[in-house]
This record gives sequence, C-alpha cells and structure tokens, in this order.
Amino acid sequence: MEGRRVRSFSEYDPAVTAVYFAAVMGLAMFSNSPAITLLSLCGALLYFFSLNGTSGGRFHLFAFLLFIILAAVNPLVSHNGTTVLLVVNDRPITLEALIYGLCSSVLITGTLYWLRCFTQIMTTDKLLRVTGFLSPKLSLVLSMAVRFVPLFGRQWQKINNAQRAMGLYREDNAIDGARGSLRVFSVLVTWALENGITTADSMEARGCGVSRRTSFHKFRLRHGDYILLAAELILFAGAASAAAAGAFDFSCYPSVTMAERDWRTYTGAAAYGLLVLLPVIIDMEARIRWSLLKPTGLALSIPERKNMP
Amino acid sequence: MSGSVYYCGRPVAELSGRESAAAIGYVMQNPEQQIVTDKVWHELAFGLENLGTPRDVIARRIAETASWLGIGELYDRSAAELSGGQKQLVNLAAVLVMQPELLILDEPTAQLDPIAASGFMNAVGRLNREHGMTILMVEHRLEEAVPMCSRLMVMDGGRLIYSGEPGSVIRQLGSRPEIMCGMPAAARLSAVLGSDTDNAPVPLTVREGRELVGRYRNDVKKLPDNGYSYQIPDTPALEMKDVYFRYSRSSPDVLRGVGLSVGVGEIFCILGGNGSGKTTTLMAAAGLIKPYSGVIRVFGRKLKEYKNQSLYRNCLAMLPQDVQTVFLRNTVREELDDAGIKPEELPFDLTGLLDMHPYDLSGGEQQLAALAKVLAQKPGILLLDEPTKGLDAAAKLRISGVIRDLKKSGMTVIAVTHDVEFAAGLADRCALFFAGEAVFSGTPHEFFPENSFYTTAAVRITRGQFTGAVTVDEAAELCRINGLKAAGNGGGA
Repeated sequence: MEGRRVRSFSEYDPAVTAVYFAAVMGLAMFSNSPAITLLSLCGALLYFFSLNGTSGGRFHLFAFLLFIILAAVNPLVSHNGTTVLLVVNDRPITLEALIYGLCSSVLITGTLYWLRCFTQIMTTDKLLRVTGFLSPKLSLVLSMAVRFVPLFGRQWQKINNAQRAMGLYREDNAIDGARGSLRVFSVLVTWALENGITTADSMEARGCGVSRRTSFHKFRLRHGDYILLAAELILFAGAASAAAAGAFDFSCYPSVTMAERDWRTYTGAAAYGLLVLLPVIIDMEARIRWSLLKPTGLALSIPERKNMP
Repeated sequence: MSGSVYYCGRPVAELSGRESAAAIGYVMQNPEQQIVTDKVWHELAFGLENLGTPRDVIARRIAETASWLGIGELYDRSAAELSGGQKQLVNLAAVLVMQPELLILDEPTAQLDPIAASGFMNAVGRLNREHGMTILMVEHRLEEAVPMCSRLMVMDGGRLIYSGEPGSVIRQLGSRPEIMCGMPAAARLSAVLGSDTDNAPVPLTVREGRELVGRYRNDVKKLPDNGYSYQIPDTPALEMKDVYFRYSRSSPDVLRGVGLSVGVGEIFCILGGNGSGKTTTLMAAAGLIKPYSGVIRVFGRKLKEYKNQSLYRNCLAMLPQDVQTVFLRNTVREELDDAGIKPEELPFDLTGLLDMHPYDLSGGEQQLAALAKVLAQKPGILLLDEPTKGLDAAAKLRISGVIRDLKKSGMTVIAVTHDVEFAAGLADRCALFFAGEAVFSGTPHEFFPENSFYTTAAVRITRGQFTGAVTVDEAAELCRINGLKAAGNGGGA
C-alpha cells in the first residue's frame, strides 16, 4: 500500500468514473430483474449518503414521491395479469401490475440517484476529458456551450437593467413586462451575433481548424486507475454474462415467473453487488487512511505556526 | 484594398495557417469576447490543441507561461469568474503559449481599470525588455505606453502622419492639440511650457516631469486665490443615508452604510477601486437593486414612492457601463425616433452618424448616441457608469464638454469613474469609495492635492514643488509665474 495515492472515488480518472456509471446503470436498465435493480438502488442510496451525509433532504422527498407515484400508476392503467386483487370501477387491479410498477419504480429511482451522484462528481472539466476521448471537436463545442449559457444569462440581466433605467418599461404590468422582455431578447440576439464574430476572430487567430486537434486535459492515468478500471470490467462481465445466460430472467405478465436460481444467479448477483458498492468501499478506505495520516500532518504544521511573526 | 503586408520578408498571404497562428499573436480589445472556452486551463491550451501539439508539450508550455505571468492560481478557475484584468492576462497567456515572434495588441487595456491596465502594460513591457519580443500595439491610453515604446506612430484619417522615436514625434505634435491631449502629462506640460525647454529631451514619465518642474523656482507655491469657493447647492437632488446592500442573505455586504448627498445641478464623480461598491451605489440610486437598510431620496421623495416606473420618467436615467446594452434598433436615427427625441434637440451633433448601425460606431460615438437616447427621457438626474471607458483623449474631452453643457441646463450628473484625470477636469465634487462606503468627498482641489497615490499626474509631478496644481494647465501656469532658476543654479532638487 505504500506510495499509492489516497483518493476517493470521485478523484479517479473521469474516464474510469464514466465507464463505472455506464456499467452500473446500463446493467440495471437492460436486465429488468428485481434483484439487480434493487441492488442498484441500494448501492446508489449508499453512495449518495456517503457523498452528501444527511443533506439533500429535498432530493430524497422528490425521489420518494416519484417512487410512490410510479408504483401506484401502473396498476391503475395496466390491467394485465392473472391475480386480481380488487376491482375498481369494473376494472381489475392485478398483483402482477402492482409488482411490475414496483420494479420499474425501483429501477427509475435507483437510476435517478446514480445520475445525481454522477452530476455531483463529474464537473465540466471531467466531462470534457471524457468527450475528448471520443472527439476533440465535440469536446471543444461542449466547452464553448458551457461557457456561453451563463454568459447569455448575465448579459440578459445587464440589458434588462440598462433598459429599465432608461424607461423601457412604462407601467408595472404583465403586458408591458412581456413587451419589454421581447425587446431585451432582440438586443440579446444582436449582441450574441456580434460577440460571436469577435470570438470567431480570436479562434482563427489562434489557428482553429489548421490541423487535427489534440485534446488537452489535466488528468493522467495512473496505476490505480487501471486497477479500478479492470475491477469494474471484471465485475461487469461477471454480472452481464450471468444476465445474458438468463440467470436473472424475470417477467410479470401474464403471471410472475422467475428463472431457476443456480450458481450463475448467485455469482452474478454477488458481482453486481460488489460493483455497486465499489465507490462506497473506495471512499471508506480513503477516509480511514486519511484519518490514520492526520496526526503526522498536525505535528508538522504546529512548529510552522510558531515561526510565523 | 491594395498594398501588401509582409511578415519576415514574406507576403502574409503566403504564410500557412499554422505559421501565422503560431508566429503572430493577436490580443483584442474586449477581454470577455476573445475567450473561447469555459475554463482557464482549457483557454490556455486552446491554441496548441488547434495545432495538434501533444499533451505533454501543452502541459509544459502552459506551466512556464502561467508561472512567468503569475497567473498560476487562475489555472482551475472558470473564465466567467475572473476580473477584466485577469481575463486580459489569460488572453495574453493563451497567445504566448504558442511562442509568437510578433505580438499584435489592439487597445488591450481600453476596457480595464487603471490598476489592471498597469499590470497588463507591465507584462507587455517585460516581454519586450526581457525577451526582445516585437510588439505592435494600438492604444490610446498613453500615460504608460509611450514611455515604454521605442517607436511611436501617429495615424489620422487613415494615414500615418508621424513615426519615430517618441520624444521627437511628440515635439512635432505641438500643432495638433487634439492628438497631443492624449500624450503623457509630463510631455504635455513640457509642450505647454514650450520655448523654455526646447533643447532638453521631452519628458515622458512622472519622474522626468518632476525633473522638468525642478528647473523652475518655487517662490509662488500656489495659484492666486480668485476668491471663489465652491458652495454645495442647498436643494439636494439625490440623498443616500446609511444604505446597506448585499446580493444574498449569506454573502457579505457590498454597501456598508453609504451616505452621500448631491445637490441639484452638481457634477459629482464617484472614484474608487474595483469592488469598492461604486457601481452598486449607482444601481441602488437608480432603483435597480433594493438595499436592505437605509434611505434613498430622489428630489426629496423616497424611491419607494415612485410607483409604476415613474422614477424613469422625467426624473432619473442611467447610462450603463456597457453602452451596447442600450441599443435596440438598426440605425441611430431609429434609436432616436424610438426614444422620442429629434437630433436637433440634442446638445451635441450626431448628424453624421444618423444612418449608421449603433454597433459600427467608434467607442466615443457610441457613448454619445447612447447618451442621446438617455436624454430623451429628460432626466433631472443623470447617472453615468464609466462614461470614459475605452475612449481616446479627444473623445473624453468631448464627453466632458457635453456633461458641462448638461449641467448648465440644470441637470444633476453623477458619474462613477476610474479615470482620475477625467474627474479632476470635470467634477464639482468627488467622492472616494472604499470597502462599500464613501470615505471622503470634496472638491477636486480639496481631494486630489491631498492624495499621494490616487491622484492626477499633474499633482504627482508638482508634489513638493507646488501645491494645488491638479491639471497640467495649472502646473504650467505655476511654472510660468515662477520662472526658470538662474543658470548654474539649476538641477538642484
């Protein structure tokens, strides 16, 4: 362990992170087995908590409401299935539809939590690194877009203020407000076109388009990145091959049927379970190693403080 | 178009895209619009990425360039959160990473405040002194640029009229006051004193200016008092009392108890560094932001009492810093029609510009066209945010003249500015803002001679020798009254 850098999951190379999220979410979405989706939801929740602690209450509330609504809507609109639980308005509510609704709720909320974690740790820098792998041009366009959208917003505010203080708005009412906003928008478009010409000049002066672009990034693939990537791929392969062999086959209609459980089911589920836990395990390890490192760090910093004038 | 342009003996048209991109660096006027990508590191890498440079080489070039320019700590930041000066340094660095032989700068400091402009000029000066880089700079902020350059070229009406070593060009400019007015204060002082100093080299910096003034006696230290002292008008047009403002609940106060009172018919200049709350004060006075505490009165009525946008009808108007945000139409004529004012009602002449697109006008013309639109509201109070930004010296003088005319017609003018010389020449009173409050206010003659750093070049040139010489003309007047020291006695400090 000596010499290996202590880092949390979010500090690994963005490509490794992106592969991870694609593997976890992809598998959950393509195998509709409740075992896999449930594992995915649990892993996502754990990682979300490990990133945010107890904050993020609003998001939990939103996810919970979504879960309830999705689970409730399916049995109300879908009347397939053989086990009738009760009849409402001459329409049967079936157990199978209820289970199907629950399964898709678990899948969707799980994916939602994963996506939330993804946007939290994938900053624009990291997204650019990943798109740079695919195409340097795409990466540039994205970077320009990321810059332009807030720029547009700020300029809107500026123009609106300027026009207000010059008496563009005559009255405090909605119609006048809309009329004014429309004119502000037209100035904004003119400004954007004008702005675009300068930006284009600046790009041309720096040789945009003279040859094949390379894509610069601040990341460097290290030993640990390869190890993590390999672990991700092995676990993914284990779970995916089990799913492909039909070990997780599951269908609700006309009645709930599940594939026979054999060794493939167990190893596949174990592989996927380990896969969804990877970020939490890595973060936990980093946290423990940091807390072990701390005393030395403190001891070093104290004499330095004393020397300060 | 005819004629030819050569770079290192070869026609520019023959250079490949790669050669011209790498060998010729180009930095433009507007710091914001040249930036292409969202992060500083990406912006620095952009040019080299275009040339297909390998990642390791890019990393090394960025590292050395950013370290040399001292912008290493900006590396991870978003371009949007940088100040204007930082953006312009990033633009310079983004060009320097390509290791250009020739650097072309198009008014690179026009949009910057004086401190940031100094920082930028410093970097450019070092490139030339320490690396011998060829630099071609178009500029009209000349106080620092002229002493730095080895050749000064003056253009007028599309023709090159003078070219040569700065001192000799300035000597020839004596007959062109509209160009001379932009030269460094020391050079202007020397030109006004004229015949006394014909043989000496033309002073360009404040230090050389002090040597020039040192050759004069200082028996009379102060201009004779003409018995006039400035009276603040009794009726206030704008009053602010204990105004506090912050952008959100958790952010720090931007305005910390601003209190000021501007009388009807005054020209009041607000000076101060970046982030001192100048523009925010103006926005609060214009009702564009709501202070959480304090009172603002316009013509004796609280801002809240102006209902239904009536504040902006015949009462108060504001000209923003970025005048392009003012224009809505395709020609100046349509703009004026739209605002409901006829060109002949204006206190200045726009006839030559009426059929042009507002965006195609020069900085000074844009400022006047925008001012015309604002005047259509017939405001009693005119708020100006950096009215001289990006203007050359002649355009500044023109704006000053227009503002004086407006004052004569009874208008109250409050201007926020970085431009010390502009404020000294124009204001009835000045206020210095620092850390969200007005630290001091007084007439230019109370204000500038007392300051040793935040003051005009004339004050810095005459410090210790004379007192109260705020403008170059006043300094020259004092020199003339005193006369040169007797020969043989000169040179003493």
